[in-house]
Amino acid sequence: MTRPRRDPRAERASIQVAGEARPRFDRTARRTGSGRPRRDPRAERAGQRVAGESRPRYDLSQTVRFDAAVITEAQPKTAAVAPPKILVLENPAFLVAVVPDAPGGRLSSHDRQVLGAARALAGREGGVAILTLGPCEGVGPAGADRCLPLEAVEGYDPASQTARVAAALTALAARHVLFPESLDGGDLARRVAVRLGEPVFTNAEVVAANGLVRPAKGRRVEQRVAPGMLATVAPDAVAEYGGPPREARLLSVDGEAPTPSPQKNPKRIVSAARVPADPATVPLALAEFVVSAGNGLTDLDTFRQVVAALHATPGASRVLCDAGLMPRHTQVGASGTVLAATCYFALGISGAPQHLQGVAGCEHVVAVNTDLHAAMIERAGLAIVQDAQVVMPALLRLLEQEAGENA
Amino acid sequence: MTSLMPLTTVFPGLVWLMAALALVQGLRRAALWRVGAAAPVAWLDGLAKLPKRYLVDVHHVVARDAYASRMHAVVAGGLLAASILTALAILPPIAGFRPYWFVVALAFGVTAVGSLLVGARRYPSKQKRLSAGRFQILPFLLVAYAVGGTATALLLAFGIGGVFAPLALALAAAGGLGLAFEVRHGPMRHAAAGALHLVAHPRPGRFEGRPDTALQPLDLDAPRLGSEMPADFTWNRLLSYDACVSCGRCEIACPAFAAGQPLNPKRLIQDLVAGLSPAEPAYAGNPYPGGRQAQGERGALAGLIGPDARIHPDTLWSCTTCRACVEECPMMIEHVDAVVSLRRHQTLERGALPDKAVGPVTELRQSGDPGGRPLSARTDFAAGVDLPVMAERGGAEILLWLGEGAYDLRYGRSLRALIRLLREAGVDFAVLGAEERDTGDLARRLGDEATFQALARENIATLAKYRFERIVTADPHALHALRNEYPAMGGRYTLAHHTAFLLELIRAGKLNPARLPDLSVTYHDPCYLARYNGETEAPRAVLDAIGVSRSEMARSGKRAMCCGGGGGAPVSDIPGERRIPDIRMAQAAETGAGIVAVACPSCTAMLEGVTGRHAEIRDIAELLLQAVEAGR
Amino acid sequence: MKIVVLLSAGRHPVSGAPVLPRMEAQAIRIAAALGEAVGLHAGPDAEAVREALGLGLTHIEHIAVADGLDPVPALAARLAAMAPDLVLAGRRGQGGPESGIVPYALAEALDLLLIPDVVAVSGGPDTLTLDQSLGRGALRRVAVRGPVLATVHPDAAAPLAYAFGKARRGTIELVGAAAKATDVPEAVVEERPYRRRPKLVKGAPTGGSAAERLKAATGEGGSATKGRLLVEPDPEEAAREILAHLRQIGVLADASKSAK
Repeated sequence: MTRPRRDPRAERASIQVAGEARPRFDRTARRTGSGRPRRDPRAERAGQRVAGESRPRYDLSQTVRFDAAVITEAQPKTAAVAPPKILVLENPAFLVAVVPDAPGGRLSSHDRQVLGAARALAGREGGVAILTLGPCEGVGPAGADRCLPLEAVEGYDPASQTARVAAALTALAARHVLFPESLDGGDLARRVAVRLGEPVFTNAEVVAANGLVRPAKGRRVEQRVAPGMLATVAPDAVAEYGGPPREARLLSVDGEAPTPSPQKNPKRIVSAARVPADPATVPLALAEFVVSAGNGLTDLDTFRQVVAALHATPGASRVLCDAGLMPRHTQVGASGTVLAATCYFALGISGAPQHLQGVAGCEHVVAVNTDLHAAMIERAGLAIVQDAQVVMPALLRLLEQEAGENA
Repeated sequence: MTSLMPLTTVFPGLVWLMAALALVQGLRRAALWRVGAAAPVAWLDGLAKLPKRYLVDVHHVVARDAYASRMHAVVAGGLLAASILTALAILPPIAGFRPYWFVVALAFGVTAVGSLLVGARRYPSKQKRLSAGRFQILPFLLVAYAVGGTATALLLAFGIGGVFAPLALALAAAGGLGLAFEVRHGPMRHAAAGALHLVAHPRPGRFEGRPDTALQPLDLDAPRLGSEMPADFTWNRLLSYDACVSCGRCEIACPAFAAGQPLNPKRLIQDLVAGLSPAEPAYAGNPYPGGRQAQGERGALAGLIGPDARIHPDTLWSCTTCRACVEECPMMIEHVDAVVSLRRHQTLERGALPDKAVGPVTELRQSGDPGGRPLSARTDFAAGVDLPVMAERGGAEILLWLGEGAYDLRYGRSLRALIRLLREAGVDFAVLGAEERDTGDLARRLGDEATFQALARENIATLAKYRFERIVTADPHALHALRNEYPAMGGRYTLAHHTAFLLELIRAGKLNPARLPDLSVTYHDPCYLARYNGETEAPRAVLDAIGVSRSEMARSGKRAMCCGGGGGAPVSDIPGERRIPDIRMAQAAETGAGIVAVACPSCTAMLEGVTGRHAEIRDIAELLLQAVEAGR
Repeated sequence: MKIVVLLSAGRHPVSGAPVLPRMEAQAIRIAAALGEAVGLHAGPDAEAVREALGLGLTHIEHIAVADGLDPVPALAARLAAMAPDLVLAGRRGQGGPESGIVPYALAEALDLLLIPDVVAVSGGPDTLTLDQSLGRGALRRVAVRGPVLATVHPDAAAPLAYAFGKARRGTIELVGAAAKATDVPEAVVEERPYRRRPKLVKGAPTGGSAAERLKAATGEGGSATKGRLLVEPDPEEAAREILAHLRQIGVLADASKSAK
């Protein structure tokens, strides 16, 4: 019997939350009370391999136990309070590079998913290297073993950026390179692909060592290939890295100096300027945060103040638009605009079916309505049964107060 | 008495002169119709049937306004009789027969009374729906001609001469020649053009007692598609617009006009009339709501539609194609045909659909459903209900056409009720399931004839694969397309609306509903069932069979008001001051009924969408199912 | 100004019927507003792009390329001959692998400047101003000189309505270019019917037991996913709750940060 016996009582005792009169248990904690080591079947298998043969052969009589890196996760609960131990990978067998968008020097959730995908490709032996343009924070916890910060490109100059990334990737000699399939990431991936003359597998929805899968031909078929050099990862398709933080050791690559732009006529981009979206005027279908007024509101001036104070885009129910109280283009619903907002804040809207169709794509809904049984209250993540007419001034007061405190 | 001898010649001569002037004026106008395209007209048949068409069909419409009916009978009858009698007096034997002149005087006297009736509608204040302008002079011309004629005839009858005779004759001449002059541009044009229009009517089937309401298919290989300018209409359509007498009955009936959308059917027809000739006097009726006053270019080759042309595109897209204007028009003008013809040009040649309608029409063309939903999802509403599919059965007695309403959550309830009723009655039926495409009704009303014809061909090919006796559908729009418009595309089927079919089942004893006297119901007629197909009785008979207390709205049956859901109006979504369904629900509320019974998915959706309503919206099938379940 | 719009033989996402991809229809609208534009399609059959004639193009050039061959060399050769000032394409082609690589490969082959994800174009042949979508209505306004290849983003103005009459009058011209020796078949990949995969649930724990993940996904995991209901709270309290919730979601900046 190689398998140790479990001690349920001790396991239970180890997850009891201390200092409470009534026994409470934290069942999310790992059951380490029995001291049972976690098995790593893959490592065991690798240990059984007979060395020095081209065709894999295994000696099954051996039982090898690896108390290798991963098992450090299985620490007693008490140690979790201390900063988690950073995982160090000294000599990765190969590298999987990730080129994130990292807007504003922070990883987006899509970037983290790409790192998760890279982690999956790297497996146990490989390392994940992140290649950022400009400094970027929090890459270690997201799963990067190596970090290669490149000098950021000034202004909008995709050609130089491509040249710089392509040169770094060549120097890095990564086995796989992953990009997020986002506006910038997808663009960069394709530019790098044509620059390097490599095929790129775009919009992968499944990333695994045995194959990448993407939809094609109008989502009628899916295509599977073995991971090549370049790939982009679809949003919300692969889980983020969930393990302990990694080292993110700084790398420097020789010959990092960007090769001069290969274009014969480099100054073809005369100027480039960002035009930020103004929440007050952005088309409703593109708005991120919509505050919407319904029939339960009578004071639309206060409503407009609330919208402005929350930096949101104004919306309205059909009744208000029909009555001419709000412009027609603000109408939310099946016959108005169908939203793709992150958050929808409904004031005094009961939620007719046609209206709810318009907010079906919204991730979060906040509703204020006097009717407890309104459909919008049912739909909302935060539902407040109260007259929106009295909540609006309270919101304004609170926002003003906060602004005053911070001034 | 020598002075009298010329008078007996001069007076009839005046009428002959009037006739000649009217003919000249009429021909000047008629020359303009020649720019129109050729059209097949059964002249002899039309001429033979003119009296019947006028006395029966026109009178049937005119008689809805009792005052106007009496007024017209007196003034038109008197005018015609007096003028013909006078004209005959050109023959000396008649001219010398004094009692004859008493008869003439009597006819002129009747005309004079009628003229006063005409005047009473306009003075001291004009009825709101009537046009002003040249129509305001009409009573004076009539009175002058009638009074002058009466006086002259009496002078002749009594044989009195002197200074009175020239005076009376001058009065009659002023009025009479004035009337004749008005045949070109004025009110009297309706008489000449109207009579000719009845002979050469583009839809002669209307006079045969059947609802001739199918849109005529467009030849997609024609060099120009639809109507862009007056010359693109056929000549008898141009003639028909000239028959318009600006009575304004259409604008009272028009739901878009009532809702303050920029459409006034009278103004639309008058714009088509005015577009033909720069000499046409200014329009003097109610304008398009919204106060737009653009005049635009005129002429047979001038574009009619545009932001700066006579007719704004919004006017065109406001129409719900409900045919209320056509139903009310005493001159039998086909407004909806004109609207669709103009829309065809906008859509097919210019791609100028209203922005919001582009999506649904594109989806219809590309995927066979205006919402772009998978065709296989059409039967999702029946999850858990056993729904036989034609592809598995090969045939059934009844083919149940589901229509677009099947995708709608609310309407799915009505269809489930219908399916349970069919099961209860043991009907052998099946649906097409994923093979059913939209009938193309929406595309056709919005002018996209190409998409309609493509969908019709596909549906006809699908239907040809299966064996069935009849098609039953709960959607009057599908019913109209399949019954009346597919035959021109080569598909002939026997159709029954679900209300008619349920009535059959009740009468055959296959459904035994209990009576529900506690329900107070008012029935809203769908335009495409009542006006387009003339079916107003079956739904009411079903309601009576379940014994509800039924009340009628002020506008019901073939004269019912539209819910606003037809003709692509909901997808075009032209803004107005009010919404059509709100107006209709207010009319329903006047009856005090707790339930508004409907028989159409569009009506259900439009009336359900009215906020703050107190009445419930229930399909007839739902009410019948309730009664049948109560009867178990 | 000479404009070329690249057309692909797309398929309707629901019905599978051959249609012009929406983004290319949007590209045609942009092109039609700037001047006379020509469509260019490389593929086995030109009927697939006939729809483009009803959407604002009057002429399409068709290069016959057998199915499964790389269209880039043929397109590049033709574009080099046409020397347009502006080439527009959808940001992703449709109906094929949908990798969106063709515009990039063309830009590389012809040494064209490529501006991706454009929603509007204005200006003349000398200097063009392109509005590039950065998502959520934010733009980057790029002024460029000389020939440029731009890909169109779905946020561009909706396509014009299809006009049957125009489609009837438009012309499709076969400009030859049969398969050349340089044409290499695209990489062969394993294909199977598409299987829809569950989207990641945001905020769901990545670790934990399967049961916990299921709970989080089905919304039984407490207040965060199920929704909180406050009945008749004090307005001030309601306001506090709302602001806290909005900040947690991340649509409202923190009070301390917003003041900076």
